[in-house]
Amino acid sequence: MRRIAPALLASALALGCETPAPATTPDAAAPVDVAVTPPTPYVPQPAALRRLTQSQYANAVHDALGESVIVPRALEPDTVIDGSEALGSSAASLSPRGVEQYQDAAYAIAEQVLRDAARRAAVVPCTPSGVDDMACAQRFVQTVGRKLWRRALTADETATLTALAQRAATTLNDPLRGWEYALAAMLQAPDFLYRAELGTPVSMGSGELRFSGGEMASRLSFFLWDSIPDDALLDAAARGDLDNDAGVAREVDRMLASPKARRGLRAFVTDWLKLDGLDALSKDATVFPSFSADFGAAAREEVLRNAESFAFDDARDFRDFFTARETWVNRRLAALYGVQFPLREASVNEFARVTLPTATPRRGFLGSAAFLALEAHPVSTSPTLRGKFIREQLLCFTVPAPPVNVNTAIPEPSTSLRTLRQRLEQHMTARSCRSCHISLDPIGLTFERFDGIGRYRNTDNGAALDLRGTLDGATYNDEDGFLTALHDHPLLPECIVNRLYRHAWAQRETRDQREEIVRLRDAFAADGYRLRGLLRAIATGAAFRRASAAVDGDGGAP
Amino acid sequence: MKALDRRTLLRGVLGGAAVSIALPPLEAMMNGNGTAWAGGEAFPKRFGVYFWGNGVLPDRWNPTGEGTTWTPSPILMPLASLRDRLTVVSGTRVATLNTVPHGSGPAGLLSGDNEVNGSFTRPSLDQLVASAVGSETRFRSLETGVQRSDGSYSYAGPQQRNPIESDPRALFNRLFGEGFRAPGETSTPDPRLALRRSVLDAVTGQGTSLRQRLGANDRRRLEEHLDGVRAIERQLQRLEENPPSLAACRRPDAPPAEIPDVLGRPDMRARAQAMANLLAMALACDLTRVFFHMYSQPVNNTLFANAPAGHHQLTHDEPGAQPQVFAILQLIMGDLALFLEALRAVPEGDGTLLDHTLVLCTSDCSFGRTHALDEYPIVLAGGRSMGLRGNTHLRARGENASKVSYSILQMMGVRAADFGVGAGRVTEGLGGLLT
Repeated sequence: MRRIAPALLASALALGCETPAPATTPDAAAPVDVAVTPPTPYVPQPAALRRLTQSQYANAVHDALGESVIVPRALEPDTVIDGSEALGSSAASLSPRGVEQYQDAAYAIAEQVLRDAARRAAVVPCTPSGVDDMACAQRFVQTVGRKLWRRALTADETATLTALAQRAATTLNDPLRGWEYALAAMLQAPDFLYRAELGTPVSMGSGELRFSGGEMASRLSFFLWDSIPDDALLDAAARGDLDNDAGVAREVDRMLASPKARRGLRAFVTDWLKLDGLDALSKDATVFPSFSADFGAAAREEVLRNAESFAFDDARDFRDFFTARETWVNRRLAALYGVQFPLREASVNEFARVTLPTATPRRGFLGSAAFLALEAHPVSTSPTLRGKFIREQLLCFTVPAPPVNVNTAIPEPSTSLRTLRQRLEQHMTARSCRSCHISLDPIGLTFERFDGIGRYRNTDNGAALDLRGTLDGATYNDEDGFLTALHDHPLLPECIVNRLYRHAWAQRETRDQREEIVRLRDAFAADGYRLRGLLRAIATGAAFRRASAAVDGDGGAP
Repeated sequence: MKALDRRTLLRGVLGGAAVSIALPPLEAMMNGNGTAWAGGEAFPKRFGVYFWGNGVLPDRWNPTGEGTTWTPSPILMPLASLRDRLTVVSGTRVATLNTVPHGSGPAGLLSGDNEVNGSFTRPSLDQLVASAVGSETRFRSLETGVQRSDGSYSYAGPQQRNPIESDPRALFNRLFGEGFRAPGETSTPDPRLALRRSVLDAVTGQGTSLRQRLGANDRRRLEEHLDGVRAIERQLQRLEENPPSLAACRRPDAPPAEIPDVLGRPDMRARAQAMANLLAMALACDLTRVFFHMYSQPVNNTLFANAPAGHHQLTHDEPGAQPQVFAILQLIMGDLALFLEALRAVPEGDGTLLDHTLVLCTSDCSFGRTHALDEYPIVLAGGRSMGLRGNTHLRARGENASKVSYSILQMMGVRAADFGVGAGRVTEGLGGLLT
């Protein structure tokens, strides 16, 4: 395999921009130091308190209280730090408004669960004989509490919540109405909303920490399922199965075989590829008459289904995710892509697997409506945004902010400057712009045959398109050439490992964790770059069970 | 000590029971000259930030003339009808580092520090004010917006950003939905409020035991969460009390559930009007005294009516004198004007709500195209009861923009030895703002 010399990488990762990057910590994702110095033995970072993301909150409610519960959408938005919601979940504080929204959501959910006979029957283990049926209230609290808090409740907690249920039942003279308050309390408790996986010393006075069985159950389920553990996983933890490699591996294999693993994958892919942005796409209806309000949702679903197919159904080399012509479309996307939709009389929500025609260069994630529409402007393409996305999200480069006081104007199209490449070319003669944009725009310009929502076109403003460029030493003529270069770029799999590691740990890795990253990278390669294998390698790794004591005054924010 | 707190008075009269009686009209509770309530308590001072994204065109922003003999600039022309309630402060610069386009400016002006890891490092100005006056009202502060989004530059602390509500109907439900009572409306005691309070006690208890196990940083994060829980307890308490008797307070009409786009573009004018009406009434009913209103987000690519491209793209790409950006800025100022008019339309004593509300109107940089932070765009509106001069163009060339923030703290009666840190730190306000 082609290897880029470390020295070359070092300069490439800094993007050769003349302006120094804003005050950020050095990106330890840089694969360079590995080649230069062998990694030091793995040292875990202190685990930080992680607040459930919006999707984890919804999944947890569905798993604990029923799939049919409608989870309010008005919840504290996930905070993105360094392009990652996972990193934000371990660093951001909840706003007072967010606390209020958790309260409103808790009561809305509690009402749905306890006022609907079918839902109630699935959750409540007994039928209260009256407002003073203490035993039944207690069983309710214990059963639901164990699911939501991912552990058995203590005697004190049980007593407090049962008393609350009783008091409310008496006040309202209705046991089930009263229990809503106990359920709302459980849903608002930090024990539900946060993951406090802190580890315990392996022996008295030892500085070496391990995650307990219960903590491991939570770590595994949120990583692989994006949700709370099921009863089987909690039982395995209680038996001590999650204290050893074999037990963890057994549970991980069971979890990866479950349909819930697709939710875990979806959460990662959504965060990594910034798919949440598709919820708020703004496109000019006069420029893109075929754009509709459901465009973003369909584009997102295509990418997620495709990722599922690669990771689970086909267990394919995940680098092909960027080159394959197979994809999932609904009727609208089929029309956009110019492919026959195979299902008859399907609703717009139905998706089918298709192979894209070779008549256009469209293939892989970078040919998807999601990428092409998201990394574009409301009326036009944006080679800069597209190039920046590929650099940052797929190759793990850090792109510094543009310098201040630079004229960024782009000349209007004219007879001499017809294509966007020509107009940008002029602007790229300024050295201060060029030093950064040379690494971004040419990559993006390779995709100029796809407009601002991803429609194929042959020309820009009536002029032929020049798609040529180079990617870190590989010269290419068109999309095909670029995709081949990307597919074989050594930083692509390394970057996937890095992003999945950050997703699993909710921490930005440092040199101390480099050994684990290298292990995962090598395991990924040895396994033929299959994502399911990488998920398994992370979850079953010894490092995933090791913790480190929180440092007072620091506390391990990323 | 305050001579009479209206709520204390009512609690005393009614023995704390959660019932209410028809209250005398406001005039009966005011003093002789209509500048305060009968007990001598002045009308509340309110403060808010009105923010729009992507800066301005500095060459068409600054008014001509100085002091009270000034002429609104072309961009400010839509605000001309409000000129006697405006103080345009031109020429200041944000002195902190300019490293994050669209982020460094607000961080410097509103927190007096650099932006670090995508966050302010300190509470924003509105939250400093809320710390001082927020406990008086049901909501400590409100964060709202016009563009559909959730981002804001209101920070309760580092990595603790206050998201906004940009859906008018959702804001209406939160403010004027279940539990709200207009002055004089009676209600029977609701036992569910007490139950909700016991739920919050249980939540706080759980949080306190988890707290012991955490490192310092996470302890702080959890403590901030529990502060939020205490804030809801206060909200519930307020609901059990009788509402303040403010003459202008009434339950507004519910805005439509959805404000439809027009030709695929957000109807910014209709959205701005709906939010302005709700915010004005939230202030008139004393539901809050502090707000942060995000008209539009930093870097927003909103398609404004008739614009050939998104706002942010135009600020960078449009060549020449940027007539399209100019047209958008006039729309934005027009929507700002209707917001200020909504405040002015509410009579309060012998003046209007706008007289008792100080609004800092600003953006995320001066020149959108270059992200410059000198000649920072700042308009102070209203605030007459706080001594803000009004009808003034104050030229403050080269002054640290933090001084404006410090002046705002002073006008709001917030005691502070300084504002900001490092290059953003000041220990005095800007001269010439006050009458």
